[in-house]
Amino acid sequence: MNNIYMPHLAEIREIIDESPDTRTFRLKFKDADTANSFEFKAGQFAEYSAFGDGESTFCIASSPTHKEFIECSFKVYGKVTQSLQRLNVGDTIGIRGPYGNWFPLDELKGKNLLFIAGGIGMAPVRCVIENVLDWREEYKDVTIIYGARSVSDLIYKQEIGEWKIRPDVTTVVTVDPGGATPSWDGEVGFVPAILEKTAPASENTAVILCGPPVMIKFTMPVLTKLGFRDEDVYTTLENRMKCGLGKCGRCNIGNVYVCKDGPVFTYAQIKKLPQEF
Amino acid sequence: MEEKIITKEDLLKLCDDIIAKGHTLLAPGIAEYVPVTNASQIQLDSSALPTKASYKSYVFPKAEPILYYKRSKNDVQLIDADVDGKKIIVLGAKPCDTNSINIMRHLFNWDYEDKFFDLRQKHFIIIGLMCNSFDDYCFCTSVGSSPVSEEGSDLFLIPLDEETFALRIVTEKGDEFIQQYSGFLKEGDETRSFAVIEKVKHPEKAFDSKQVHEWLGNNFESPKWDGIGNVCLSCAQCAFVCPVCHCFDIVDEDYSYSEGRRMKNWDGCQFGHFTLHASGHNPRDIQSKRYRQRVNHKFRYYVDKFGQILCTGCGRCSRGCPVSIDIKEIVANCKD
Repeated sequence: MNNIYMPHLAEIREIIDESPDTRTFRLKFKDADTANSFEFKAGQFAEYSAFGDGESTFCIASSPTHKEFIECSFKVYGKVTQSLQRLNVGDTIGIRGPYGNWFPLDELKGKNLLFIAGGIGMAPVRCVIENVLDWREEYKDVTIIYGARSVSDLIYKQEIGEWKIRPDVTTVVTVDPGGATPSWDGEVGFVPAILEKTAPASENTAVILCGPPVMIKFTMPVLTKLGFRDEDVYTTLENRMKCGLGKCGRCNIGNVYVCKDGPVFTYAQIKKLPQEF
Repeated sequence: MEEKIITKEDLLKLCDDIIAKGHTLLAPGIAEYVPVTNASQIQLDSSALPTKASYKSYVFPKAEPILYYKRSKNDVQLIDADVDGKKIIVLGAKPCDTNSINIMRHLFNWDYEDKFFDLRQKHFIIIGLMCNSFDDYCFCTSVGSSPVSEEGSDLFLIPLDEETFALRIVTEKGDEFIQQYSGFLKEGDETRSFAVIEKVKHPEKAFDSKQVHEWLGNNFESPKWDGIGNVCLSCAQCAFVCPVCHCFDIVDEDYSYSEGRRMKNWDGCQFGHFTLHASGHNPRDIQSKRYRQRVNHKFRYYVDKFGQILCTGCGRCSRGCPVSIDIKEIVANCKD
């Protein structure tokens, strides 16, 4: 019988320092069969092991259309992320997954897509953006609004540069007031204000929204004002998890298990949940 | 259902045989179910109160390795943890314990099967014993069970007199097990066992679980939770003595510079750090929210998910509570 807690081993092929406290690992499964058979969908998450310090939960930040590697991005916060930060290229980590549900990209074909991300919330959104850009002809207008506290806190600067020069994507990047540098050429202001200013059309548009709770709290009224319906707004919930398999008992919000019924929810679904997240 | 009769003397001989075969024989001791090394240690007392702890730790250990790792320069080697699939026979299990494995199985085998739980539970034979007493904390009748419930037992004992038991064969597993001891069994007489069962006093029903389920669905924000939150110490002893609480933590333990093991350890939803995020945010940051989770998980969420109350009514959590929180009273108070 399989041990459901047994991770796959993966080698760190590349490390990208996204910001002073956020790092991306580009990972390759050590076992060739796993590398070939590992499949996931945009929005799913995994448990990443730093052996000796434990496991931590993050989304898979690369697109499922990129088969040759998977990537994760993490902010250095606790014991496991500090331990992961000490690892170097060539070192081994563990990956269990993929777990949870995903953004319904197949159902959203033929729609306009509006991506709104704040801070490290860009990690799950980036996975979807890269997926959508690989299937670009399937979707209508693509708009990206991304904000961080300061210029140095913006992650995926490389990718943002690539999105900006694409004629088929509108990319708006902003930093909070006080976070700009003299050479900053993007917007200055909080995400809700920049969203209001950008005012993307709500007709036939799905929103993918991830960021800190305070950003989501103030962005939702603006979306409503712009005519977006709660059921067209997709976001992710990130509760503390240990198993990722619906057993360890800590990620539930009412009778919804974030690890199994989520992490992707529409805002309409979230409004029905007890306020305990 | 088939019913036999076995004398106490033969039952103890049967126990000696189980021990001689190298199986683990568990029986209620003073504080918990203990492995018996000699049948003479066994007390088959139907009027004993539930032990302080159930036999949960034999199917879901307090701490168990789920894998071993060895680190070398860049590399890691993983070794799967084996499960000890030893046969475990529980003799004299209380009706408020017998169904515990069935209840937890929903969770552990839900979608992804936890081999550690699954391989152990397969090797359990549960010989229940009718219960003939209760105290103020017992409430099995409120959660759909009773002192004479055979649910979860493979074999079920009913004391007919000082020296004789009726032995009911409840499951195929139980039947298969007892066949090898058919020499000890005599034909049963159901009128005798029914006469005993009829005289058993049941604890009074303290609440209606369907009404509780409905009330919980409408009263997530009830001020009643605040009152409990002010009393509870968040020590989580209630989870540790509970026969069906199953929440766990996964942690790594290094035992040398290069080697270690990953452990699955009991955890409890009453601990403040249980849901604490690395960022410092905590969805269940105060005790009232944690107690609300406990009651809702047992009497609403688990019922919604698996059609089963996550409680056997044994009353252990209340008997052991250092601040005398009685879950029976709290649940009975889940009404307008």
